[in-house]
Amino acid sequence: MIEVQNLCKRFGNVQALAGASFTARDGIITALLGPNGAGKTTLLRTLVGLLQRDHGTIAIDGIDPAVDPMSVRRNVGVLTDQFGLYERLTAREYLQYFGQLNDMEEQAIENRTREVVELLSLEDIIDRRTKGFSQGQRIKVALARTLLHRPRHLLLDEPSRGLDVMSTRALRRALASLKADGCCVIMATHVMQEVIHSCDDVIVIARGTTVTQGTPQQLCERAGLSSLEDAFVRLVGTEEGIEL
Amino acid sequence: MKSKFRIVLRKELKETLRDRRALSLLLMFVLMYPMLVGLVLHRQVDRATRPEREGVELAVIGAGQAPSLMNQLRQRNVNITELEAMPEEEITAVLRRQNVAAVLRLGDDFSDHYNAMRPARVELWYDSASDTARKMDEVEYVLRLYNNNIAGARMLAHGVSPANLNPVLVQKYDTGTSASRSANTISTMLGIFFIPAFMFCMSTAVDSTAGERERRSLEVLMAQPVRPSDLIIGKWLAASLLSIVGITLELAIAHGILKWLPLEEIGLSWRLGWRDLAMVCLASATLSMFAAALEIALAINARSFKEAQTVVSFTMIVPLVPVILVPMMNLTTSWWMYMVPVLSNQTLLRELAKGQSIGMLPFLQTFFSSLLLAMLCVWYTERRMKSEKYMMTV
Repeated sequence: MIEVQNLCKRFGNVQALAGASFTARDGIITALLGPNGAGKTTLLRTLVGLLQRDHGTIAIDGIDPAVDPMSVRRNVGVLTDQFGLYERLTAREYLQYFGQLNDMEEQAIENRTREVVELLSLEDIIDRRTKGFSQGQRIKVALARTLLHRPRHLLLDEPSRGLDVMSTRALRRALASLKADGCCVIMATHVMQEVIHSCDDVIVIARGTTVTQGTPQQLCERAGLSSLEDAFVRLVGTEEGIEL
Repeated sequence: MKSKFRIVLRKELKETLRDRRALSLLLMFVLMYPMLVGLVLHRQVDRATRPEREGVELAVIGAGQAPSLMNQLRQRNVNITELEAMPEEEITAVLRRQNVAAVLRLGDDFSDHYNAMRPARVELWYDSASDTARKMDEVEYVLRLYNNNIAGARMLAHGVSPANLNPVLVQKYDTGTSASRSANTISTMLGIFFIPAFMFCMSTAVDSTAGERERRSLEVLMAQPVRPSDLIIGKWLAASLLSIVGITLELAIAHGILKWLPLEEIGLSWRLGWRDLAMVCLASATLSMFAAALEIALAINARSFKEAQTVVSFTMIVPLVPVILVPMMNLTTSWWMYMVPVLSNQTLLRELAKGQSIGMLPFLQTFFSSLLLAMLCVWYTERRMKSEKYMMTV
């Protein structure tokens, strides 16, 4: 469970977060919807203790990342919007490296690697060096890394970008299994299709603050519109998400 | 929590060992540096021993006028080639061909002056730009000897003791052993051996920091349950290790070459045993660590591999300062020299090459001064990585 209250963060003159509050429950996939520059990346970084907040409280299973970032990170899997693999390592070695960094035993890494390879259909690329991987393959390997140490919480920044149909299905399978395991998943995305298909709860964020939270149906009702996309635009305020 | 720098270290080493380009660069420097120094010294030895073996080639114009001088020259292993009278340009041309060390020209009026006991003119033509200094000394020595002999004989004929020719008798004693003379000559060359410490670790240092930042994998890494200090120490040790191995190999090869060269022939010496060498390598390990730490500290602020490479290239100037400037200043060895990285390693090797026994202290000073600076760089980098400003731009 991730609980955020009145989160504020300022960089110089830019108010990146201006009082965001929400709760992401266990066993549910929570979508984080927001226009570019709404503060999603800052929010995710603050959640894992990479950035210190100015105000507000964060509790991830009751632990404050500002106080004990190591415990929080051990329990969180992060897929950032930008990431690089190590070109001279194979996908398996990449997973092994992060498994070790997460205090996993060699045997556990091996077993778990087998599981995520199956879950995400990585069989054909797991023993290849990651140089020359396509965007979809890269995301899948990074996603496998995120899942490897069985974190209870997952912060996924646009996991579906660049995925083909088969990979998208693999991602959905992965999300479903996380949900079944009772994990708490926050998924930032711009794809409404994905939100409707996989997410049970939606947080709309704009200008550093949470605009609203609810199921996709509730959002549509609140905006008085039938499509989620239209509802999102209405809720955020303007077409660009910036008030004129 | 057990420290995780070992995991990072292992991964960085694995990656580096798969980087063919970085490894071949390392191998090239390891081989190139000692070979280059060996080649330069070998040429010097060769040049120095040549005149003794083959004698001095001397061209003489008008040799017929001074048969006794010619005889004396021949006795001193000088090969004389007799030439016809020629204009000055042609003499220059003869010298340029470098077949002869010098041209000796006796004027047409040599015999007249000589017989009349007036100074008989002899011209010695030589090219100071070519390296025939040793041969020239030889020729001039014979001419001086001949001068003295004739003068002595003439004075004797006038009833004056030839002892009057030498109111002061100069006797030279050279206390500089060949070993101590060598020190200054190869001091610069020894410094050169340590410069690659800054090159061997460069690709790993830059790639694992700025490179990782450019590929955007650093943020993910920092979101893992790993302290920044473990990340930095792992990366630092990986880069250091590469440099330590490189320098040790290089010094070992250099040692082999320098031991094998007959350096005594040019008044140099290399009185290092393998034990001394091992001690130098050990004391220099921290230099590699300092080099890696400095480069990481600089590269951490760069946003791209390219930018980091440019900045880090400037660190190459750091070791050049002591290597080139200090021998120029002609300082005597003193304790503070062992406190300055590169200079300390250079001085250490130089003193040992001279065959001096220097005790343990310089080794310790060399070891710890670099280590201290390395720690400072690592500390700075860790603080930098923890800063929010840095996180924002990762």
